[in-house]
Amino acid sequence: MFDMKVNDKYFDEIFDFAGQWEMPSKCGLKIVKRGDKTVVLATELYQDNPGSSITYAGGSLIKQICEAKKLDLRNIIYVECNPDTNSKLSFYDEEMFRVDFEVENEMPTNLKYTQLTKEEIESIL
Amino acid sequence: MKFKLIYPKWKKLPGQTTFNLPPHGPVVFAACLPERVDVSFTDENVEDIDFEEDCDFVGISMMLSTQVKRGWAIADEFRRRGKQVMFGGISTMLHAEETLQHADSIFLGEAEGRMEQVIADWEKGQLKKVYNYMGKQPDIALVGPARRDLYKRELYNHKGVQMVDLFHASRGCKFSCYPCAVSYLGGRCFRPRPIEKAIEELETIDNNRLFIVDNSLAQSTQWELDLFKEMIPLKKKWISHTIEDKPEVLDLAAQAGAWYVYQAVYDTSDYIRERVKRYHDYGIGVEGTILLGLDNQTEDDILRLIDFLLSIDLDLAEFTVLAPFPHTKAYDDLMRQGRIFDHDWDHYNAGQVVYQPKNMSPERLQELYEYAWKSFYHDETQEEKMFKLFTKVMLREMEDGTYRPRDRKLANKSFGKDVDRSASKVNLR
Ligand code: B12
Ligand code: SF4
Repeated sequence: MFDMKVNDKYFDEIFDFAGQWEMPSKCGLKIVKRGDKTVVLATELYQDNPGSSITYAGGSLIKQICEAKKLDLRNIIYVECNPDTNSKLSFYDEEMFRVDFEVENEMPTNLKYTQLTKEEIESIL
Repeated sequence: MKFKLIYPKWKKLPGQTTFNLPPHGPVVFAACLPERVDVSFTDENVEDIDFEEDCDFVGISMMLSTQVKRGWAIADEFRRRGKQVMFGGISTMLHAEETLQHADSIFLGEAEGRMEQVIADWEKGQLKKVYNYMGKQPDIALVGPARRDLYKRELYNHKGVQMVDLFHASRGCKFSCYPCAVSYLGGRCFRPRPIEKAIEELETIDNNRLFIVDNSLAQSTQWELDLFKEMIPLKKKWISHTIEDKPEVLDLAAQAGAWYVYQAVYDTSDYIRERVKRYHDYGIGVEGTILLGLDNQTEDDILRLIDFLLSIDLDLAEFTVLAPFPHTKAYDDLMRQGRIFDHDWDHYNAGQVVYQPKNMSPERLQELYEYAWKSFYHDETQEEKMFKLFTKVMLREMEDGTYRPRDRKLANKSFGKDVDRSASKVNLR
């Protein structure tokens, strides 16, 4: 049993989304412009997320963020952040994944996860 | 209206003593059905399903991932015979999309206060495909006494000894542990039942021995203290998940009949050693639950952990390997990293390795899991250790005047089947 408070260094706002089976869910959200692309960084909130995890919500979350923020699905770099929760157990260390996907009927599908190093994430942001 | 309620069977883990406990979810659910519904219950772990039994509507309750494939097969068979089938329970929620393919309807969430509508819909021929109450928990005060009258009692009896009855005093869990889906299922909020309601239900249970299945009682000290205080006069003896190890809590828990508790052992620290000792100081037994295969464990760590367990005087130990159950962080992490190689839900029993561990091969983890069971029970078998715990509880019951000798009529039966005396080792007098 661990207290899993998430540090807010990777997000500017809390984004409400509909999780699996419409469960009210929350994630951290940061959006940064990088040239002609937009970097979207979604952060898992664990204890403060009452619904589906951002990984489980996957493509549906990407779509909901793009719709709410008026972003073009085909023109974003989507990064999933599973942050450090200050737990002494290593599997709660911070992990960042770039998520590549295809778009089918305006829905992201075929999600592919590539883990990013600290340097890669810094250069993206 | 005749409602057939079914709890599908699952394969027990090899090498473990098989005890079939009376299932809780189905009878708690049955208590939510309107009175006009006539329920008949079959737990397939202890009796065969009669597909010919006269019924109007079939409900399948699924708790474990290892039940879902069997649950779907049962539904397919009933639907072939023209019956409508509805699914509910923990693994219906965890495997909802797949289950929908075998169902006329799936029910997601807790059933209290909601079944009148569902049954009325069925009666009008307007059953909905999905009843979605995920994240919308009903008022906890609506949880009423479970329909334990639906059990065929003689089927939950081993050589005259009645199995424990299951009971819960709260729902939800404020923690979010790595391998667990409970926060997805029951919400991240601890929801204790009003104590008088819980006690009222306890009074109706005709069994002195209980398994209190609450996720964790260690979520509110005051509530724990109040509950235990009220339980003392009932003289029940019970098993539960973790309780807090503060002296005032342990003292009242012991007086309220704490028999033994499950305690996760995840490292070889003095913290764990002392915690186990504290329980023992109050006469409460400890069953260690040990999860093997986490990313921070090497082979050496696992071997050291096994040695440690032998040195801390645990009464029982239960080993599991990490299973990435849907809607857990373990699943998300391993899925993202492409490390899950086996997607057959029958193998998600926490005894079979279905993913690539970080620090060893899946085969090696499987060997270590088997080695852990063997070495812990090498000098004293699980049956012998269990027998010691039974002796303790019997002595306490004798002091309390609540001891019931075993039922001689069932002395040659084990879960409804004849006992092969020559082959049996267990003798729970
Ligand atoms: C009791 C229990 C057991 C008992 C079961 C005894 C029995 N005869 O069923 C025992 C000890 C045997 C057991 C074993 C295991 N368990 Co267990 N167990 C539980 C526990 C603690 C309680 C379940 C319960 O009764 N809940 C209370 C009831 C009232 O809730 P409910 O079932 O959801 O019912 C409500 C609704 O769902 C609905 N409903 C229910 N049925 C139906 C049907 C219909 C038709 C409808 C409409 C509605 C409906 O109505 C009810 C009231 O609202 C849960 C954790 C938890 N607290 O839930 C873990 C849990 C189910 N177990 C779990 C696990 C992992 C296991 C094991 C695999 C490993 C282990 N060692 O723990 C082993 C099995 C190994 C094996 N292959 O043999 C996991 C499930 C993982 C999974 N996806 O499979 C859980 C969730 C624990 C966790 N922390 O992750 N377990
Ligand atoms: S393992 Fe127990 S304490 Fe941890 S989240 Fe699950 S139910 Fe709660």
